[in-house]
Amino acid sequence: MEDDSDYEDSYVASDVEDYPTSEDGDYGYDPQTEPEISMRRAAYTVLSEEELKLRQQEALQQVMQVLSISEGEAVRVLRHCKWDVNRVNEEWFADTEALRDKIGLVDEQPTGSGRRKESCGICFDEFWVSEMHAAPCNHSFCRGCWKGYVHTAISGGPAVLSLRCPLPDCSAAVPAALVTAVSDPKHREKYHLYSLRSFVEDNQRLEWCPAPGCENAVEALHEVSNEAMDVTCRCGSSFCFNCKEEAHRPVDCETVKKWIIKNSAESENLNWILANTKPCPKCKRPIEKNQGCMHMSCSQCKHEFCWLCLASWQEHGERTGGFYNCNKYESAKKRGDYDAESLKREHARVSLQRYMHYYQRWAENDRARSQALSSKAEANDKKLEVLSEFVATPTSQLKFILDAWAQVVECRRILKWTYAYGYYRFGDNIPDEDTAQKQQQGFFEFNQGQAEMFLEKLNGVVEKDLDNLVEEFKREPGLSEVAPDGSVFVDQASSPERQAVWSKFREQLIGLTEVTRMHFVKLVQELEKGLDQLLAFYSEQPEAEAEAEVEPAAVSTAEASGSATPAQQATAKAPKRSKRSRISSRAAADKASNSAAAFSLQEADSELEAEAGYWQCRRCTVINRDLNSQSCSMCAQNRRGPISAS
Amino acid sequence: MGSNQQAQLPRRIIKESQRLLSEPAPGIKAVPNEDNLRYFSVEIDGPGSSPYEGGKFRLELFLPEDYPMAAPKVRFLTKIYHPNIDKLGRICLDILKDKWSPALQIRTVLLSIQALLSAPNPDDPLAENVAKHWKENEAEAVREARAWTMRWAR
Ligand SMILES: [Zn+2]
Ligand SMILES: [Zn+2]
Ligand SMILES: [Zn+2]
Ligand SMILES: [Zn+2]
Ligand SMILES: [Zn+2]
Ligand SMILES: [Zn+2]
Ligand SMILES: [Zn+2]
Repeated sequence: MEDDSDYEDSYVASDVEDYPTSEDGDYGYDPQTEPEISMRRAAYTVLSEEELKLRQQEALQQVMQVLSISEGEAVRVLRHCKWDVNRVNEEWFADTEALRDKIGLVDEQPTGSGRRKESCGICFDEFWVSEMHAAPCNHSFCRGCWKGYVHTAISGGPAVLSLRCPLPDCSAAVPAALVTAVSDPKHREKYHLYSLRSFVEDNQRLEWCPAPGCENAVEALHEVSNEAMDVTCRCGSSFCFNCKEEAHRPVDCETVKKWIIKNSAESENLNWILANTKPCPKCKRPIEKNQGCMHMSCSQCKHEFCWLCLASWQEHGERTGGFYNCNKYESAKKRGDYDAESLKREHARVSLQRYMHYYQRWAENDRARSQALSSKAEANDKKLEVLSEFVATPTSQLKFILDAWAQVVECRRILKWTYAYGYYRFGDNIPDEDTAQKQQQGFFEFNQGQAEMFLEKLNGVVEKDLDNLVEEFKREPGLSEVAPDGSVFVDQASSPERQAVWSKFREQLIGLTEVTRMHFVKLVQELEKGLDQLLAFYSEQPEAEAEAEVEPAAVSTAEASGSATPAQQATAKAPKRSKRSRISSRAAADKASNSAAAFSLQEADSELEAEAGYWQCRRCTVINRDLNSQSCSMCAQNRRGPISAS
Repeated sequence: MGSNQQAQLPRRIIKESQRLLSEPAPGIKAVPNEDNLRYFSVEIDGPGSSPYEGGKFRLELFLPEDYPMAAPKVRFLTKIYHPNIDKLGRICLDILKDKWSPALQIRTVLLSIQALLSAPNPDDPLAENVAKHWKENEAEAVREARAWTMRWAR
């Protein structure tokens, strides 16, 4: 037993060294910049089919050695114990006979003389005993009948792994060696596949990657709980180890499950609501919505109404709480306008509408994520090379663009799931008295909004701004002017003007990528901690303790790797910034406890800026080196003032 | 046609058929069809001290292409009131499904069916309402089964 646990230890330790394998060089850039945002990193490793076979073989060898049993027996025992070597040892030594009995291991029976003929119990033909085969129980059948028996069982599915002797009432297990000896290559391959599948599917620590066509599996390097655990396969796809849905941290598996069921249950309503036309509430003619504004006007009867609640537009004034709140239900209820029946109907509608709000944003972010994924692939394939010539820079130094895209992809995923979270976390109608709920909702929505705002900005810069820049470069030809003496080119691409424009863009994008990442780190951290705990934390903890406790774990590695580029400095700086902002947030929260805006990450902090030697524009995120200037050198945004519209 | 089929028929089926005719199991008759040697007309006598006593139950039995790797297909032709046999005469019996083994034979299958008539198992029902009847009021269900035997299996 002791030997065994030693073995297990070293086995895990060597795996940990391989980790993290989730960042293998698909994109060919520094894994340091991998955008994955998670506070609690899961320890896991990705195994290819070959590696899985090796792992399986290792487990078998181990059990064969410790229990002194054959490979065929080891397969049975391991399968019975869900490929958990420790469990094998426990069960085997607790009651060997009972276990052997249960899984059909029988002692090898003596075989008779081969120079004797016997009738096969299946085909009734006579064979030399030496030509017949048997499981250890020694109930012999001819090779042809074994083949038929085994092939039929293999065609029947994975249950073949528990195949027993054909003799009724004999429960002896048919060893894998006999199965493979009598079957043809096609069936043999299938059998091996079932065996490998069992190794993964019966094993609590292993899960197949659900991506179509991917044959890798992910192995958890620790005891698995039934909590969400995002993993990324070598093929690039991310999924939750616990529930097999796409990766959804920081939202828990239960919420995701509810949300997915809800979406399919509501699919009919969704079609209706996502449609671009609705009947005019007055004349019933179909009205198409082709702009963002909710104020509709019927082309036929000129009736004006609200797209969201279909009420007359007159009722959407200041009186009812303003346009975007669209809270007619609330005020109508207060006025006692509804009888019980219409109240019920109205409630159902509001409930659906509320769901729609979240669903639309969830679905739009999902779509945006797919778009970002293909944009990233496109950039990797072609765009960087074009750009490389325009700015006289090797593509290896343009990887920050891919990093930006990768950040967009990851943030879209997180943002998407925060909408499912928001839907379930806050009810249809939080009563005014429930200030704690209101406060938490405000807190959450504020931070979600901040993160979303920066994500939209990042997305815009890496998408539209970059395209515009490339268009601009195209208009100024790269190679020009032939000198009188022959062919001397003025290389526009490396002109100081272009280099200046380019480096400014580069700094902006790198900075924006990092700032966006920080906002999402914060959002994820909040959800993982739980909003109620966070609020309690802000209102109760003394300042000194607070400082000690809120240390974002995930970014500490970045802090450790001190380096020279502004981007990396920004990375190193960021945790302190966020820590500090939390603390000043707490002070602000004390003053104006209801104002969610008080929790701003943007809190000015000259001390930290002085330490860093720069200040970062909150609007365009450019790094400003002049610590005395109060406005951004790039966009003229005031250093401390509210962020102006772009 | 007949002799050609005979030639293709596996030795095992020929041997089984011969033995069924030469040493029949008590209360069981199984005769292969002349035109199709894989198709058997079967008659089972209702076992003594069961509600099927005195009845003669006709069944059909067919040996599929992959017999004996696959189980024979058996069905009651005579109407019978039994919790494990449905209106169409299909039989709920483990050895006809997942517990089938190529080392079992036509004879063992028919003996198992005969045993099923002696010991109905309403906990593993095929005919839901019959099984319900059996569980709720066994005496009445047995009377009903006996009435069916008198009516259909004479
Ligand atoms: Zn044989
Ligand atoms: Zn055996
Ligand atoms: Zn994969
Ligand atoms: Zn999950
Ligand atoms: Zn109208
Ligand atoms: Zn409205
Ligand atoms: Zn700026």
